[in-house]
Amino acid sequence: MIGKIFSSIGVLLVVALMILGSQTFFIVGEWEQALVLQLGKFKYAIQKPGLNWKYPFLQQSIIFEGRILASDAEPAEYLTKDKKRVVVDHVTRWRIKDPLQFYKTVRDESGARARLDEIVFSELRGELASREFAAIIAAEREPAMEAVATRAAAKAEEFGIDVVDVRVKRADLPREVQESVYSRMRAERERISKRYRSEGEEEAAKIRADTDKDKTIILAKAYEESQRRRGEGDAQATTIYGSAYGQDPEFYSFVRSLDAYDKFLGKKSTVLLSEDSPLLKYLADSRKPK
Amino acid sequence: MAQGRNEWEELLSRLPKLSKLLSAGIPTVVLIVIIGIWAASGIYVVGPGEQGVVRQFGKVTEKTSAGLNYNIPWPIQQRDVVNIARIQRLEIGFRTNPRRAGSIRPVPQESLMLTGDENIVDAQMIVQFRIKDPVQYLFRLRDPVGTLRAATEVALRSRVGNTTVDQVLTVGRAKVQDETREFLQQLMDTYESGLLITAVKLQTVDAPNQVKDAFNEVVRAREDKEKLVRQAEGYQEDLIPKARGEAQKIIRAAEAYKEERILRAKGDAARFNSVLTEYRKAPGVTRERLHLEIVERVLVDVDKVILSKNGGGVLPFLPLKDLNFKSGTTTGKAQGS
Repeated sequence: MIGKIFSSIGVLLVVALMILGSQTFFIVGEWEQALVLQLGKFKYAIQKPGLNWKYPFLQQSIIFEGRILASDAEPAEYLTKDKKRVVVDHVTRWRIKDPLQFYKTVRDESGARARLDEIVFSELRGELASREFAAIIAAEREPAMEAVATRAAAKAEEFGIDVVDVRVKRADLPREVQESVYSRMRAERERISKRYRSEGEEEAAKIRADTDKDKTIILAKAYEESQRRRGEGDAQATTIYGSAYGQDPEFYSFVRSLDAYDKFLGKKSTVLLSEDSPLLKYLADSRKPK
Repeated sequence: MAQGRNEWEELLSRLPKLSKLLSAGIPTVVLIVIIGIWAASGIYVVGPGEQGVVRQFGKVTEKTSAGLNYNIPWPIQQRDVVNIARIQRLEIGFRTNPRRAGSIRPVPQESLMLTGDENIVDAQMIVQFRIKDPVQYLFRLRDPVGTLRAATEVALRSRVGNTTVDQVLTVGRAKVQDETREFLQQLMDTYESGLLITAVKLQTVDAPNQVKDAFNEVVRAREDKEKLVRQAEGYQEDLIPKARGEAQKIIRAAEAYKEERILRAKGDAARFNSVLTEYRKAPGVTRERLHLEIVERVLVDVDKVILSKNGGGVLPFLPLKDLNFKSGTTTGKAQGS
């Protein structure tokens, strides 16, 4: 009987101790931070992981996230400086820097997200309105986002939030504009196709014309060369003939004429000879001429 | 598995004492068994390529490597085992169906993006990564892999936005890939993700379906250009050697002519010289002889008509009837009957 009482007292004691322990000790994890309040009033913050204690019941501990968190808002449409519409889907990374400030102003993560999105939206709207569309797509994307992040960070500080960065996940044209982009792209490609084809024709024509030109020049050069050679031949031959026949022009004339008779009097010729031709002088008369 | 067996062994080792313990009362036995199980739950195995991270009251105190390890069980210590060797992969712009190999579902809202010259391209990418820092991976960033997906989109679109459509479709591809990897790693380091990007691979980079035909047409046009140029070059390669051959032919003919003329002249001169030498020895007779020789040779074959001086008529030396038919010349006809 006594033992039973003892054992029930023991059980009660254990339960009481467990309750007391759980109210006194609390663990702050590696990815967490905590706030200790005393009757609703801030006492201290814990930003290192480990085992901690507080006065049970009197003090209260609240655990916050210590990791980097994301806030991925819905894509929204903005107007750029050159009055183009752009759909931007951004994501903000942040962490709780000052748990007390955080707890006082936004209380929890979803509250923080709502405030943060408001801040970033308005910063983004302002930033994009000051830049040209083409720049936002290309070279100024990162600088613009860094500017947004810096200004958003300054504004978010009062909520105990540290903004790590703001990035553009997607920057697209509104759906209605896309079709016109496609038709512009098509026109652009058609232009390039045409250019390629006519460039091909241009180059081909050039090559053909060059070829024709080269051919003509090659043949003309050959003609020039050949005429020169022929001339040289004729000249040398003339010299040779001149020096040979010059020795006795009359005899040359005689011999050459005889040759010529031989050549031009062929079988089909008919020769009319006069009776008193010197050739026939002995035909009729055998006497020695006087 | 390993843990379960250990508990079982623990139980067996206590079996002989069971009867003795029974006398101490069932609650005590239960208590001891519970404590035994609790203590055994601290045994764990770290496999090859894995790393264990032990926390004591929430704070990281120890990293354990491959093998059998022990930690004081909850609530004092806790452990996480992370594979730091396994290369994981993430798909951007498409998803492969894990159940059916080779079946790919495109995700246009991820893959369509603007280039710097305000064109739209369709790009799909694979990111390969592994965990390089388990502590960061576990405790510094909420949802590291989800963050990686978003950051990859950020990096890829940023890099594609900085090139032109022609670049990204052709030579700029590798550059986009490298820059994306670099930028992505930088982002993931800023986020303390503990992830290492081992590779970023652009799968397909294409024009969107709506304009694909126009892009293909450009490729065809470029081929056409090549074709035209090649054809013209063919014309050139056909014609020029032929022309050169023709030129050589003309020149060789001229050279031959030249040589021929000179040699003939020399021959003629030599002949003339020889005859002249002989002629000078006896000019009168030689002259007469040469003359008669030629006349003889010439007059052998020709038709001859001898005209009488006194009568003025024709004295036929040869039968005249043959004359007309044989000669056919004006001379014959004029003299015919």
